[in-house]
Order: sequence, then structure tokens, then C-alpha cells
Amino acid sequence: MKLSVRMVVVLTSIGLLSGSFLATVGHLTKERIALNKQREIEAAIIQVVPGTVSSQRLYEERDLSVYGGKDNEGNIIGFAIHASGIGFQDKISLMLGTNSSLERTNRLAILDQKETPGLGAKITDYEFFLTYWENRDCSVPLTLHKPAASSPEELSPTEVNTITGATISSEAVLSIVNGSLEQVRKLIQEGKLSSEAQDVN
Amino acid sequence: MELLAIFVAAILINNFVLRYFLGICPFLGVSKKIDSAISMGLAVTFVMSITAVVSWVINHWILIPFKLDYLQIVSFILVIASLVQLVEMFIRKISPPLYQALGIYLPLITTNCSIFFLALMASLREYNFVESIIFGVGSGLGFTLAIILMAAIREQLDHAEVPEALKGAGIALIVAGIMALAFLGFSGMIK
Amino acid sequence: MSTKTIGQEFIKGLWDENPVFRQLLGLCPTLAVTNAVINGFAMGMATTFVLIFSSLVVSSIKKLIPSQVRIASYIVIIASFVTVADRFLAAFFPPISKSLGPYVPLIVVNCIILGRQEAFSSKNTVGRSVTDALGMSAGFVLAMLVLSAIREILGAGTFFGYQVMGPWFKPWIIMILPPGAFITLGILLAIALQIERRTKSRK
Repeated sequence: MKLSVRMVVVLTSIGLLSGSFLATVGHLTKERIALNKQREIEAAIIQVVPGTVSSQRLYEERDLSVYGGKDNEGNIIGFAIHASGIGFQDKISLMLGTNSSLERTNRLAILDQKETPGLGAKITDYEFFLTYWENRDCSVPLTLHKPAASSPEELSPTEVNTITGATISSEAVLSIVNGSLEQVRKLIQEGKLSSEAQDVN
Repeated sequence: MELLAIFVAAILINNFVLRYFLGICPFLGVSKKIDSAISMGLAVTFVMSITAVVSWVINHWILIPFKLDYLQIVSFILVIASLVQLVEMFIRKISPPLYQALGIYLPLITTNCSIFFLALMASLREYNFVESIIFGVGSGLGFTLAIILMAAIREQLDHAEVPEALKGAGIALIVAGIMALAFLGFSGMIK
Repeated sequence: MSTKTIGQEFIKGLWDENPVFRQLLGLCPTLAVTNAVINGFAMGMATTFVLIFSSLVVSSIKKLIPSQVRIASYIVIIASFVTVADRFLAAFFPPISKSLGPYVPLIVVNCIILGRQEAFSSKNTVGRSVTDALGMSAGFVLAMLVLSAIREILGAGTFFGYQVMGPWFKPWIIMILPPGAFITLGILLAIALQIERRTKSRK
């Protein structure tokens, strides 16, 4: 066989073999990978909107998705806002639970972050940080309590706590939360998002 | 604003070499002289900018519409390998002086993980077309900055008394560590 | 063709030709994912899988591949196995896949793998190539474990996630940040070189 023909034949067959091999592998793992992602989101929704039995995606764009947490009867009992933005080092991705009128926070969960271990990474710590985000009045933009408070009682209803030594990470979380709340309100006003239970598609 | 943030973050905060540990081989291998470091940096920036465009097109016009995401790794690496070859041939035709300056560095770039990482990251972060280009150029400049600084320090190191066992890669890595420490200071500059 | 015994073929990867400490190959993943032992170990295993299977395939079909297109063929073969490893981790070990992130696909540009195909598998029998791949992988995993153990113990006070340092210990956070990776590897390379020099001068 001529060399050039052989080159083409060999490369094509290697390409075809690997392509079909990968198609099989891709097909076999596709569902499981999608399921893993879905489970992660669902677990986070249940965590930030307690009492959720089922959930529904109401809105999605890059860096902002809104889910509705529903009770047994299918009424939306709260929103789970999945948002991300720039932190101290890299992207922070979080999920904030609010009540169905968007006026009170339920809980906050940090899904992904690459902040400094031991300092900024404390934003994932419940006692240090996340506990101060529960049951806040978010009808107005939230503010940071500086310097750090040592118990939730020291904060006013619209304040959240700062992490000592990681002000920038705390501010980053705050600005992601405030920004996404504002965006969601705007979406509701524009009629692109409704807290009424929609038909499950 | 968003674009500026991506650009500055790619150069300083998430510097490819000092934060993501990419392109360590050329970073250590071609950083003995400032001249060659500049050429290497420019060659990488050039290829990165083109890769950003091409990989975006492949991803958004072929892989995503036809749901071929499992072919991403294979197609990106093949595209990069052939792209570097094309760029090399193209530069040789168009500008012999530029080829003389960059030529020997181009083949090295094929196995440079930073190019591949760039394509992956742009797809992972769902950058749009313009953002991908900005990210590509910024990352390339970040690499250039790191390798030039490194070369400047290493030229001075020649006059220093380094313990025998640390000579070469050892001391270079420790210097890189100190540079990475300094670059940590850029964290948090974008809000 | 290599003239070593099969045993020597395996052993050389551990020290004499250790890919990280002696050949300075694959430094990107070595530095990037060694902030915790579990990550270093998972990365080592994923790389081992890709290296062994690539060597197996390349050495079995080496006679069919014209030398002009060998690199392209090797890259396709390697990239296929990397995709398998990436998909497997994402499907069955999502937390590990998440913390290694884009560094799993990066195995494709790990110079150890392409280097072994070019330098060894393309010239040797299947048995020898796989043994060589096993040895090199073992050397790589060893390096990953040493580096990640040092970084995790000093940087977080834990080993494989278990607390090993007492409450008196204040973690050196810098060790799990990028500078710690560079500095630790720099010192380890110096130690490796020193040991090598000692043994040489004794001979």
C-alpha cells in the first residue's frame, strides 16, 4: 500500500474507532452525570427552603437560576435563588432560600468557592457565617455588620455578619445575594417569573 | 466592566502559571534569558488568542448543537495541535524575521497545557465569543508577565551562590513560589 | 529494544527515572492537585489508568502506524482514555470530579504519557510497555502522595481528611495555597538531587 494511503487509512480508522468508543462511553455515563447534577441542586434547594417536597425551575440564565420549592399540595413555599459572582479569588456559587414573597431569607448555602482556606473559605462554615443569614429581612438590600458580631442577636434584621480577616469574601457573598435579589424582583415585575405554581412541564 | 474584570483576573489574580500551575515546562525551560522569555510569551499569547476563537467556534457550532460533548477533549487537543502547525507554516510564509524569533518556540506550545486549559475553561465558564477572546489574550499576557519576571530574576541568580542541589529546577520552583506569594496580593482587587 | 529484565523495567520508574523527581515531567498536575492527599491520589490513579491503557494500545498497534502520523494517533488514543477517566469520575465520584475540575482533562497534555508512548511503547513489546507504564505510574503516584501528604499535613493538619496534628498545631495555610506547592516541590527536587549525588559519589 502506498504510504499516503496508509496514513489516511490508519488515521481515519483510529479516529472512527475512538469516536464510536467514546460515543458508547458518553451514552453510558450521560444519564448518571445529569442525575448527579440534578441531585446536587435538589439537595441544595431542600436545604435552603425547608419543607420543600418537590421543586421546579422557574427561570434560568448564566449565573442566575431560580427554583421554586413546593409543599405537598404543589404550592410554592419559597424561592431558591442559585447565583454566582466573583469572590476574593475566583467564582463563588451560592444558593439563597427566601419566602414566597421574597421578603425574608430562609437559609444560605455556598455550593462552590475557591476562597483562601482558613479565612475566606469560612463562608461555607455554618457557625461562623451561614447562621447569620437565616431569617433576615431582605425587602431592602442587606448590609454587613462590621466588626464581626459574636451572636445573631447583635444584628439588626437587615444585617448579616462579617468574617474577621475575610471582609472581601463576606462582601462578595453579600453583593451576589443583593444583586440576585434585585434581579429576581425585576424579573417578577416584568412578568418573566411568577410565584404562582405553574403547570409542571 | 465584566470584560475588564475577566481581563485583569486572567493576568493578575488567576495567573495561569502562578495560580493554575500551567505551562510550567516552558516556564522553567525558557526562562533563562529575558529575550527568549519575551519571545516565548508572545508566541503563547498569539496562539492563545487564536485558540480562544477557534475553540469557541468548535464548541458552539459543532459540539453543543450536535450534543457531542464527549468528544470535547479529543477535538480540542487535535485542533490545538493542528492550529500550532498552521500558525508555524503561516508565520514562516508571511514573516521570516518573526518566524526566526518565535519559530523554535511554536512546536513547544503544542504540549503546553495552558493552551488546552484555556479552551476548556472558556467552555466551562460559558464565556461568550468576546469574553473568550478577552480571556485568551489576558491569559497569554499573564503568562508573558510571569515568564519575563522569572527570567529577570534568574539572570540575577546566575551571580548568586545557590547550593549545588538546588541549582536549576529547585531554585527556580522556589522563586516561582515566592512570586506566587506576591501575586496572592492581587486577590480581591476585583469586586 | 530495551535490554532490562521485566523487574528492572518496573523498578526504574520508582526512582532512577521517576517522572516527577528525576525527569521533571508532569509538573502541572503534581503542583495543582496536591493540596489534599485524596486529590493527589485520585489524580495519580486517573493518570495511571490512562498511561497503562495508552501503552497497551500503542504497543499492540505500533506496527500499523506510519511514523509520520504517529504523534497524532497517540494523541487521539490518549485523549480517548482521558475522556473515559473524566466521564467515569463525573458519573461515579462526583465530589472528586468537582474538586479536580479541569485538571482531569488536562491529563491529555501530561508530558509523561505522550513521552512514554514516544520513547518506549512505540519500540517495545506489549508486556514490556505495560510494565514500564506500571512503573512510571507508580513513580508518579508516589510523587503525588509525598507532595500532597506534606502539603495536607502542614497546611491543614490532616491526612486523607483525618486529623493527625494535635490542637496545638496551627495550620500553615500557605502550604495548601499555590506558593506552598512551588516551594515544597522545589525543596523535594533538591533533596532528590542530593540523594542522587551521594549515591553516585559513593560508587
